[in-house]
Formats: sequence, structure tokens, C-alpha cells
Amino acid sequence: MSIALLLIPLALVLLAVAIAAFFWAVDHNQFDDLDAAGRQILEPDDQPPDR
Amino acid sequence: MNASAHLTWVDAASGAAETQFFADGMRCANCARSIRKTVAALPGVRHVDVNLATCRVSVGWTPGAQTLERVLDSVAALGFRPVPMLGDAATAARHAERRSALKRIGLAGLGTMQISMYTVGLYAGAFTGIDAGLARLLRVTSMWITLPVLLYSGAPFLRGAWNDLRRRSLGMDVPVAAALVLAFAASAYNTLRDQGQVYFDSVTMFIFFLLIGRYVESGMRRGSLDATEALARSLPASATRIRADGGSERVALMDIRRGDELLVATGAVIPVDGELCTPAALVDESLVSGESAAVDHAGGDLLLGGAVNLGAPLRLRASGDARSSTLASMIALMERAQSERPRVALAADRAAAWFVASILALSLLVAGLWLWFDPSRAFEATLAVLVVTCPCALSLATPAAVAAATARLARQGVLVTRANALEQLARVDTVVLDKTGTLTTSQPRLGAVQACAALPAARCTAIAAALERQSAHPLAAAFASVDIQGLRPQDVQEIGGSGLEGRIDGEVYRLGRRDFAGAGADVTPPEAEERVWLGAGGRLLASFEIHDSLRADAAETVRALQAAGLELHIASGDRPGAVARIAAELGIKAPRDRQAPADKITLVRALQAEGHRVLMLGDGINDGPVLAAADVSCAMGQGAAVAHAAADMLLLGDSLGGIARAVTTARGNARLIRGNLRWALGYNMCAVPVAALGWVPPWVAAIGMSMSSLYVVWRAQRFSRESA
Repeated sequence: MSIALLLIPLALVLLAVAIAAFFWAVDHNQFDDLDAAGRQILEPDDQPPDR
Repeated sequence: MNASAHLTWVDAASGAAETQFFADGMRCANCARSIRKTVAALPGVRHVDVNLATCRVSVGWTPGAQTLERVLDSVAALGFRPVPMLGDAATAARHAERRSALKRIGLAGLGTMQISMYTVGLYAGAFTGIDAGLARLLRVTSMWITLPVLLYSGAPFLRGAWNDLRRRSLGMDVPVAAALVLAFAASAYNTLRDQGQVYFDSVTMFIFFLLIGRYVESGMRRGSLDATEALARSLPASATRIRADGGSERVALMDIRRGDELLVATGAVIPVDGELCTPAALVDESLVSGESAAVDHAGGDLLLGGAVNLGAPLRLRASGDARSSTLASMIALMERAQSERPRVALAADRAAAWFVASILALSLLVAGLWLWFDPSRAFEATLAVLVVTCPCALSLATPAAVAAATARLARQGVLVTRANALEQLARVDTVVLDKTGTLTTSQPRLGAVQACAALPAARCTAIAAALERQSAHPLAAAFASVDIQGLRPQDVQEIGGSGLEGRIDGEVYRLGRRDFAGAGADVTPPEAEERVWLGAGGRLLASFEIHDSLRADAAETVRALQAAGLELHIASGDRPGAVARIAAELGIKAPRDRQAPADKITLVRALQAEGHRVLMLGDGINDGPVLAAADVSCAMGQGAAVAHAAADMLLLGDSLGGIARAVTTARGNARLIRGNLRWALGYNMCAVPVAALGWVPPWVAAIGMSMSSLYVVWRAQRFSRESA
């Protein structure tokens, strides 16, 4: 059972990291426009890659 | 409270000011009533209008007797945040709101997952035996995770309930907050004394699901605000005025007065209605008229505010101020029509207040009865009733279905901008169609040619086509496919507002307006269609009918709509001949021609008075008011911004086909919502008596509640995946 005493605080730390990462992403405009990136591929003004 | 960001109109004559803002947090008819009562009681306030469906508050006040800060503060004191209607401040406010909603959902979701795992451990332990110390650790950890979820993610519910109670009214938030606080308090108490049940999983799961439901709902509401904002942005904030001494100055749009002479640069938007002072101008009136072709104007013509100057810089004399312009009056018409609509929303809110009151009454009754029979089980039974009756499945039933249908429609090329559009669309039995730009494209097509005796029609057509080849005018496209028989016109010049002039084989031809092309024996019947005339040496040679061409999928769409049992009407501002031709081609009876915006509204109102539910399909600014007046409306994606703002749906991709599919999807959606509501109600009816009898521990209630919500969401998801 003593492994649980290690794993539970570890899970809490991971939870805190996940929440911090999510909040960071929201604050850095990652969720502001979820459609544009998907549409970008259909836009015609792409330059062909240089070879 | 910062008042400067708010939209305020001051009437110079009477000194009265009018301010509009959104009241954030307004959810029910009670909220609207309390805002109206409180603000109306302030000194110096002339009138208050609160629109619940759009969350919009409009206050008329007298500047010396009252300040805007105090009005806004009084609204804020009731627990509603005044949000500016338009501009950067409004965008920033909505952005911030969306972000904090996302963060709340994120925290609640992550917390729920974590606690669910601990809960599985605890339940498994309850059957197989668990170390007391470990069970205690799991509970305490759960409590510390639940606390921020409750205080941060659950804040909207707690604050909403607190504001409701302070106003002595019952909103949807009250039973939710009661269940959350009771469940958390009891769980924390049980955790500390180390015996009894804990319900942390129920608390977080509850918050998570409710937040998602609310997020979906508020996303739909936002769509319509964006459209209004786009509309207001179509007018410039300032204009260039020419001073009496010949110099020019920048003035604010609001400061333009009748008689001012204004300069409009190439590519700029004409700020107000006015008379053209320069000899000729080419403008794009698509925003105002919906016709996307550029229009020639001669000096003295009336130009409409909102049109774009495509030609050389022009001057115009304002024939009114910004508020009396065509565009502004269109906006006013539309707003009035919009404000007449929110019946459905109000009915739903009244029902919600009753629902909440009965939930609370039922919980109290259950608590009372259990205290009588067996006080030790009173708490659990009451909590189970509160959680089980939580209108979660009920409140998700509609938004989940609407979101699914919206997603499906978006894939079909139809953008839904208002939440109740689908509900209304499902019930529609009559469709009113605009012609130009909706059933037809703005691409002109050459119709019948009438030539007089002097030259054969084919020769006239070839001459006209040869001249038009040299022109950039939109009408030239009508002649694009004509064989010009090797003709080589010389010295072709465009005479602004009149037409073209050019020399072919030594003869000077003119093509354009009738009075420009020449005089003489008229070869044309009365003006049933749009025409251009060809003349030489002052004699008329021929006239050409210019048709607008039907969209490729117009006939197919009309058939599909008729097959769906809908009655179709055409209402167009165009000439009788053109309208009749299109109607005959599509097999629609009794088309109405020469319809002004007001006539179209009269038609729609008359149909509504006969008990019909009307879908309006249009594209132009002149369709804005009638789009807003119809039960549900759809605008062409290529159409005017005003039409977009007024419409409930937009057709993307420059084709009509989406509307027929939208009707099918909306009907499917209505069936789905009914099914979902039946399921949610049925679940509540079965679960409540069982919970009231004390046979359901709160964790089963929470799982049941979640399962019923998940089932509702799953059904919606399945609907959105189905192919149309």
C-alpha cells in the first residue's frame, strides 16, 4: 500500500502540471480560433516548396 | 465603472442621451424585470428597455440629471456586468469571457477525471476491503481537488444563485448551487469526522457537465452578436469634409450635417446618403442593394451611404446626417423587427422558473418527510433528489442537439448564427424568396434582341459585343460569349453613366441608355426587362434584353423545397417581366414584383397572420428588415453584411442547395430534441420517486444523472454523424 502514498502525490503534481499547461494554452491564444488552421490547407495561396 | 467605452447617442436638440449595452449574466425574465425596475427608478432616466433574448439594455437618460457611470453601477450592483455593445472593448470583453469559460471547463474536466479514479478506488475498496488510512488519504485528496473546482469552476453557479437570492427571485442557478454546496459541505464534514459518504465525484462531474452545456449555449448566442458588429463596422467612423474655403478636414460620422460637402476617396465607403457633385461615379452598392454589380451614376444622382466608391475620388453633398441615412434606417427597421421576436425564449424562461420552484419544493418536502420518519437518512435522500432532478440532461437536451445539427449544417454549407433558427426552421411551411442575388446570380446574360429594319439582329449583336469587349463594365459579361465576326472597334470610350461609344468601319456606334444611344422609332415593348440600346448617328438600331441568370441549382432546390411540403413565394424589387420569367422557369405561382422593403415585410406579416410560419431567403441590404421580420431567415453568404446580421442562417459557397438540406436537418433536429426531452423527462419521472424514497445513494444519482446526460449527448453526436 505504501506505493499509493507515493503515487497519489505524484498524480497531484501531474494534475497541477496539466492544469497549468491548459491555462497557459488558453492565455496564449491557442483556443481562440480552432477553425482557421483546418481551413488553411484549402486556401489557394500556398507557395509550392522549393526543390 | 468605465463609461467611455459604451455606445451613447446624444440628441443635440433635446439633449437626451441614449446608451445601449449588454447585461452579462442575465438569464431569466426575473433578471430583466429587476434591471428595468432598478434603472427606471433612478433620477434623470427617461426610459429603459431590456431585451432578454439578446441581453441588450437600452437606457434613455438626461445628461445633466444623471451620469452614465451611476446607471452602469446600479446595473452592476444587481450582479450583472455591463458590457459595451461594440468596438474593441466589446470584443475584448467577449474574448475574456470565452477564455475564462474554457479555463473553468478545463479545471473541472481534469479535476473530474482525477477524482473519478479515486472514487473507483474507494468503491472497489468498499467491496473488497481497503486500508482505513488509504481510504482516508483518497478522501482528503479528493476534497482538496474538489475545493478549487467548486470555487473556481463552479463560481458562475454560486454567484448566480447568490445574486438571485439577493434579488429574492428563483433562477436556474439556485437548485444547482444548493446541491453543490450541500454535497460539498456534507462530504467535507464526513471526511473530517472520517465516516459516512462522500460525494466529491458528484460535485465535480456536475459542475463539468453544466459548464459544457452553458458553453455550447453561449457560443451560439455569440454568433448573432458578431453579425451585428460586422454591420456597424461597415460604416466609416469619420469622413473628409470640404470646408467653405476649399480646404478639407476630418470629421466624425456623427458630426456630418445636411448640406456638408464630402470627399470620398477611391475604395472608401460613402458615409451618408448624398447627391453626387462630380459628373460621374462608379460605385459598388452591394452592401445597400445586394446587387453586386458596380453601378454608374451621373452628377446629381443620389448615392447611398454604405456604398463603396470604385472609381475616381468623388464629392457629394450630404442629404441628411448619419442617423437618417438609408443604412441607418435599415438598421433601425431590423432592430425593431428583431425585438419583436423573443417569444420562445421568454416562454422557456417562465417554464424554467416554475421548474426550479418545484424542484426546491420537492426537495424540502422530501427532507421534511424523512426528518419525520428517519432523520438519519434525510440528508442523503434530499441530496439524491436535488442531484437527480438537476436539469442536466434536460438542459443539455436542446443545446446538444442544436450543436450537433449546427455542425452537420456547417458541413452542408449552411452557417447557423442564431440558436433558435433550427427550431423555427423545422416548423416553417412557407418560403419567401428574393430574386436578384438569391435565385439568380448577378452574372448578366443576353436575352432577346430586337432590331429595327436597317440592320439584321445578328449584326447588331456582333457590333454591341465588339464594343463591350473593350469595356470593364459589369454588363459586358452578358456579351462575352457572342461571336464578334472579326469586327475591330476603334476609339472606344466609356461615357460615365451613359454607355459606350466607338467607331467600327468608319461608323460611330453608341451602346447604353436609350436617350444616349439615339432617338427614333422605338423597337421595344414597355420596360419589363432591363435593356441596353445600340444606336448609330442618332438613330436606334437595336435593343438587347439583359437577363440575370438562374443559379445552377435553383430549379433543383425549388423542387426539393416543394417536395418537403413548403409553399413558395417570390418577392422581388425587380421589373415585372424579369420576375415573371424567373417564376415561370421555376414553376412558382403568383410572383410579386417591384417590392420595396416595406412591401416585403407586409407580405411576410400577412402570411404570418394567416398562421403560416415563414422562411425568408434573401441577400441584399434591402432584405435586411424582412429577414428580421420572418420567423426564420437565411441570407446568401455572398450577400450584404446587413442581410448577414439580420439572418438566422447563412448559405455558404454561393449556391442555394444548402437550404433544402437545412430544412431536412432542422426537422430531424426537432425530432431529436423531442426525443431527448422525452428521455430526460422520463428519466426524471422514474428517478425522482425512487430517490425520494431514499433508495438511491447520491453517487448513484450522480452516475444516473451523468449517464442520462451522456445518452442525450451521444444521440446528438450520432445525429451529427449521419449523412444528410
